[in-house]
Amino acid sequence: MIKITNLEKYYRTEEVETVALNKLSFEVKEGEFVAVMGPSGCGKSTLLNIVGLLDDPDGGSFLFNGIEVAGFNERKRADLRKHNIGFVFQSFNLIDELTVFENVELPLIYTGVKAADRKVRVEEVLDKMQIMHRRNHYPQQLSGGQQQRVAVARAVVNNPKLILADEPTGNLDSSNGNEVMQLLTDLNEQGTTIIMVTHSEHDAKYSHRIIRMLDGQTVTENILV
Amino acid sequence: MFKNYIIVAWRNLLKNKTFSLLNIVGLAVGLACFILITMYVMDELSYDKHNEKAERIYRINSDIRFGGNDLRLAVCSDPMGATLKKDYPQVEQFVRIYNSNGSKMLKKGTAFIEETKVAHADSTIFDVFTLPMIAGNPKTALSEPNTVVISKSAAEKYFGTVDAIGKGIEVNDEQHTVYKVTAVIKDMPQNAHFNYDFIFSMDNVEYGWGNFLSHNFQTYVLLQPGTDYKAFNKNFKQVIDKYILPQAKQLMQINSMEDFARTGNKLEYSLMPMLDIHLYSDRFPELGVNSSIQYVYIFSAVALFILLIACVNFMNLSTARSSNRAKEVGIRKVLGTGKKLLIGQFLTESTLMVFIGLLIAIGLVWLSIGYFNNIAGKTLGITMLLKPGYLLFLLLIPVVTGVLAGLYPAFFLSSFQPIAVLKGRTGKAFSRSNFRSALVIFQFFTSIVLIISTIVVFKQLNFIQNAKIGFNKDQMLIVNGTWALNNNADAFRNEVAKMSGVKASSFAGYLPVSNSSRNDNTFSTEAVMNEKNGFNMQVWNVDYDYIPVMGMEVLKGRNFSKEYGSDSTALIINETAAKMLGFDDPVGKKLYTLVGNDNELVSYTIVAVVKNFNYESLRKNVGPLSMRLGYNKWATAFKVSATDVTALLKNIETKWKSMAPDMPFSYQFLDDSFDNMYRAEQRIGKVALSFALLAIFIACLGLFGLAAYMAEQRTKEIGVRKVLGASVTSITTLLSKDFVKLVCIASLIAFPVAWWAMSTWLRDFAYRVSISWWVFGLAGFVALLIAVLTVSSHAIKAALTNPVKSLRNE
Ligand SMILES: Nc1ncnc2c1ncn2[C@@H]1O[C@H](COP(=O)(O)OP(=O)(O)OP(=O)(O)O)[C@@H](O)[C@H]1O
Ligand SMILES: [Mg+2]
Repeated sequence: MIKITNLEKYYRTEEVETVALNKLSFEVKEGEFVAVMGPSGCGKSTLLNIVGLLDDPDGGSFLFNGIEVAGFNERKRADLRKHNIGFVFQSFNLIDELTVFENVELPLIYTGVKAADRKVRVEEVLDKMQIMHRRNHYPQQLSGGQQQRVAVARAVVNNPKLILADEPTGNLDSSNGNEVMQLLTDLNEQGTTIIMVTHSEHDAKYSHRIIRMLDGQTVTENILV
Repeated sequence: MFKNYIIVAWRNLLKNKTFSLLNIVGLAVGLACFILITMYVMDELSYDKHNEKAERIYRINSDIRFGGNDLRLAVCSDPMGATLKKDYPQVEQFVRIYNSNGSKMLKKGTAFIEETKVAHADSTIFDVFTLPMIAGNPKTALSEPNTVVISKSAAEKYFGTVDAIGKGIEVNDEQHTVYKVTAVIKDMPQNAHFNYDFIFSMDNVEYGWGNFLSHNFQTYVLLQPGTDYKAFNKNFKQVIDKYILPQAKQLMQINSMEDFARTGNKLEYSLMPMLDIHLYSDRFPELGVNSSIQYVYIFSAVALFILLIACVNFMNLSTARSSNRAKEVGIRKVLGTGKKLLIGQFLTESTLMVFIGLLIAIGLVWLSIGYFNNIAGKTLGITMLLKPGYLLFLLLIPVVTGVLAGLYPAFFLSSFQPIAVLKGRTGKAFSRSNFRSALVIFQFFTSIVLIISTIVVFKQLNFIQNAKIGFNKDQMLIVNGTWALNNNADAFRNEVAKMSGVKASSFAGYLPVSNSSRNDNTFSTEAVMNEKNGFNMQVWNVDYDYIPVMGMEVLKGRNFSKEYGSDSTALIINETAAKMLGFDDPVGKKLYTLVGNDNELVSYTIVAVVKNFNYESLRKNVGPLSMRLGYNKWATAFKVSATDVTALLKNIETKWKSMAPDMPFSYQFLDDSFDNMYRAEQRIGKVALSFALLAIFIACLGLFGLAAYMAEQRTKEIGVRKVLGASVTSITTLLSKDFVKLVCIASLIAFPVAWWAMSTWLRDFAYRVSISWWVFGLAGFVALLIAVLTVSSHAIKAALTNPVKSLRNE
């Protein structure tokens, strides 16, 4: 599903040039659950942003479902993204002014789903995430675990083939964290490909495979299953 | 403490340069408008106040209705003033001013100059009005015939020195009277309802004195201190019965004032406080161009609203920014700073900003005062600001405005709960404050009202330009003062008529624009005149060519013609007169009028009805008017079709100089004179336009700041939405939507208010445009467009930002 070869990304700030990704290569097959680990600043988030089509690489090749997407413009990337990829962030990134229901509904609005269908699908995922009873609450009225479940619901409501999670348990205590990991595992079992960045060896154990990074490069790959 | 306030305030100002700049520029522009307008209003309110006895001076107004024609006069009969003084001890003094045709030819060196600031007055003018003398004795200055009092400027112009007493000035009247200068006065101030350079003795006026029925003199009385002028007005009934009725009985068959009134006629006199003349008097004839209290109100309201818009900006931007300062407030509070100290801090900040704004505003006033004078028709000077009273007022502005504008943000910020603030839980609470929405609505409400007003004023002006006025004002050259050519007038007219580019000509003593000669006569439908059959009507002496040259349309009957020997008693009336007379077919009917000094009754036969033409401004309905054959050579009209008007004028002037070498050549184009009637409206149009633009500019500054702030506040939300696939358009719409909603609400409130205001304004015009719906649509659309353009630049910028950036800062 994803094939990355010699991917490069630089950040230029005034005089200094940071190499965030340095000729990085790896592959993710459909249905896999991959964890990405590495010390802070090694380029994990940068990688995830590129894989999530939020950012453009400076060099190398990125095949998404066999299509070369490196060099795609913003509009094309957005189009591909909203139909295929769901995101889960460490800080949830729910919109404070919208209710749980409205937050989950957003991706469907942007992919042009009709209102009636939206209602059915949102309620379906909320049910699945066991957060249905909170559908009219605002994010600030929820606990961290509940918020992250809403975020997961939002990520999956469009039935994406790929879910990208950047430290999804980073802001949660262990029981809430485990709950979210269980959700991701379930989704993976139903066929969704997942790439997850984490600092926690515990969380990484839920995955099939761990990619370890250092200074923008992959060092080792542990196969867990 | 205070010093610390100022230091912190100053640092804060520098720290947020964009914000401070938006705020200060908005305030400065608002204050500059406010200062300009208060200067204007103060000037308007200061008229005639320089007179020491101002409060005791009153003008006698006459209200006459005779035969359905209403006259509202600023003049009364010649014996009225003296009669009042004789019979009523409350009247301390009186003075009459007479300026029959508004100008005189005065000889300077060998040539004559036309002077327009001239009048005849009684010697008592110096008892009533305050006209400080540089030289001469006010007691005797005008007490003899052939004397003249001149202004300092006039003395310098004619004699090159202020020392002009005893010198002579020749006037080009029939006797070539030489007037002796008996006094030199200071130039009269601009803010007076009359302004003369030459005051001639009343004894030189040739007039049928002692006539209570002719109204030709501006008459002012000086009442004893403590006299109630409204109560005094009751005495006029007595005056009418005692003096006017006997004369009326002699002339017409009027027996009592009751009979006169019963037939719908009216003769009333009243005193008007002199201080009211400039702003409240719209009578005929006025001695100068008066203004209207309506415009003072409009200007004051506009000043206040613009200042409010600027204050609103300030409040909006300050509260919007408050979430950025919330943390500072939280920390200060945790450290134990009291609420009072915080409020003090914020008020100091706002006052400091307003003060800087004020300094810039004064600079702006200095730069723009010339332009403002130009459009408002004033001669205001920046030095007006230096009067102690005004200076104090100016210094009060930053304090009041600063407190006004700073109060809300101050209380708003200082009331934060420190815990909530430090937890960062304020951002959402007031990113959509209702109060701020109300402020934005207010700003756009004002802007939209001003836009609509501007459109309506210009529509009305355009309507006036293109109105069917019943005569042709285009390409009509009027050469003034052709009477001075005496016997050469006909020769001059014929010679000019032969020039190429001149199509036709006519003597035109009476012109269909205001401030031209007028002649009001009493007519009757029967040979014996009484209060039932008598009525007043304009009667103009014109020649055979007048009606065709002026492009007037004969509806019934025929123009004067040489083919009819009896046309010297023919009369052509306008539609209003025809309607008033009520004849089925007026042509052939007879009318009677009094002619000459011995009031001989003469009969005229109506030979035609001419289509109504607007001979006064379109503010007034067309009154009854008639024309008879006669030669009034006061001016001559030439219909021109020349492509090179300058060359033609040169030729005409050369011809003039050859016939009257010592007379000035003066001309006007009828369409210019027509436009002059609407100066006030054109001014209002320009003023409304200027201030509408400024109001919108200030409102946009605020909106710009607000939108920037909103976009900043919602960075994270925009990032999330983009990650989820939102397009640039949808984000831009999202951010602009709120503002669009506010502008729509503002429009809905502004429409009825603007409609009401402009209907009131239009009511002054007998002939006016209707306010069509598209005016509202256009104004709303313009406001919306401006708002969207202002907001969307931020919105688009926010929408284009890579979400990775906005989410990284989390
Ligand atoms: N927008 C940016 N501008 C400049 N440098 C950046 C930018 N984004 C990332 N970097 C740099 O690129 C490198 C990789 O950053 P990245 O956020 O991918 O690290 P990370 O592995 O996700 O770290 P963490 O575990 O702390 O989240 C870092 O050195 C970072 O400073
Ligand atoms: Mg990271």
